[in-house]
Amino acid sequence: MSGVIRAILGYYFLVFMMRIAGRRPGRQMAPVDFILVFFSGGLILTTTVGDDRSFVNAAAQIAAICAAHYMLVVLRSRYPAMGRIVDGTPLVLLEHGRWRHKVMESMLIEDADVMSSARDQGVENLEQIDYAILERNGQISVITKDSE
Amino acid sequence: MYTLIHAVLGYLFMTLMMRILKRRPGAQLTPFEFVLVFLVGGVIILATVGDDRSITNCYGGVIAICLMHRLINRAKLKWPRFADLVDGKPIVLLANGQWQAYSMKQAHIDDNDVMAAARGKNVRNLDGIKYAVLERNGGISIIKKSS
Amino acid sequence: MPAIHDTRPIEDSVPKINDELAVGSDLQFQQRWEKLESIIWIFLFIFLLLSLAGLFGRGPLSNVTAQAPDASMQVDYERFERFSTPSVLTVRVNPASIKNGQLQLWVSDSLVKPLGNQRVIPQPERSELGAGGITYTFPAFESSASIEFQMQPSAIGKSELKMRIPGNSELDLNIYVMP
Repeated sequence: MSGVIRAILGYYFLVFMMRIAGRRPGRQMAPVDFILVFFSGGLILTTTVGDDRSFVNAAAQIAAICAAHYMLVVLRSRYPAMGRIVDGTPLVLLEHGRWRHKVMESMLIEDADVMSSARDQGVENLEQIDYAILERNGQISVITKDSE
Repeated sequence: MYTLIHAVLGYLFMTLMMRILKRRPGAQLTPFEFVLVFLVGGVIILATVGDDRSITNCYGGVIAICLMHRLINRAKLKWPRFADLVDGKPIVLLANGQWQAYSMKQAHIDDNDVMAAARGKNVRNLDGIKYAVLERNGGISIIKKSS
Repeated sequence: MPAIHDTRPIEDSVPKINDELAVGSDLQFQQRWEKLESIIWIFLFIFLLLSLAGLFGRGPLSNVTAQAPDASMQVDYERFERFSTPSVLTVRVNPASIKNGQLQLWVSDSLVKPLGNQRVIPQPERSELGAGGITYTFPAFESSASIEFQMQPSAIGKSELKMRIPGNSELDLNIYVMP
């Protein structure tokens, strides 16, 4: 199989695997997530490069990956359904002082994670929080009681 | 088969290495640490793949790692002690005008790092900080005096 | 100022909950997605188990031994090979097949092109082309001998490999090369 086909296949496979590997809370990538991404990417690239270490092969593969990425971005913006599949949907975790614990359990999030994000925004304790939302990129947005 | 075992071990080894580096990366990964991670990671990847560069082998490795990632996440939720071991706990660095010197030394963080995080939150100087907390993911949260 | 047709009003483009917080959350989708994820993970786990068992090469299910119908030779090979990955095929020969201090072995062309034969150990004294394959001639003693073919498949899919010691029955192998 030529390098270009492998590159495109590898890209979509990685997008797919990262999507189902689990969304971790937190604005920045935790060390474990960084390793996951790095390791997976490295493993996939050995299938695409293979024996052919020429510049032409590398350039063609990079172009192919960029094209595949662009395709995904275009599809995502055109069709909201695609966006939901690729990125997921925001989820409410805390609403008016009550935890949506089923959602939190399924997303493997603890109260401490929400509080950690709240502290990041300068909030001192849980009583000040009106809503807590798990965004699509894993960030937890905290809307305080005294916001607009 | 060796690839799968090797991939899992490599992932665990890298995680351990990240923890041992003690400066929790993410927010404050210096170029030097970045290079180190890439280098060690690259070597581990080469060793994991070995001579078998087929799709079957490498995709299987990725699946194995992602599966492990999921299992570890679930384990973290079930056993809080395990979570503390892997991620660490949040550490208070500055409380009501007092530097927690021991914690800061343990975490290898100095006053400048905290002030840098504070400036990022629009605080002019150390007097404006009520609490500074080193979070598990490496970021420093600032609770301002005015709030 | 952009022309009026280049803009559109806000108009609830991000759905609200409780009529106040614009979130755009789709809980129904999320629950359906999680079920799908669980199913996908079951399949992935099965894939891993099969892979460990050797269904995709390099494992117990893949290392097999075949025998020629008249027991003139035995071949240890991998039923499932992997693309451009080194592997070894061993032919063990019955001493009775050695004639005049020489052992002849005919292999079909498929050993070279799709299966990528790299090396033959020991080196044959002579290799002749013909009859849809190559005939190797090895000088040999009267005890049992084994010949090693080091392979690195260059094509994906099913390949038929035929082997024969001239004068004896033919051995037909099906080898599947995984990507």
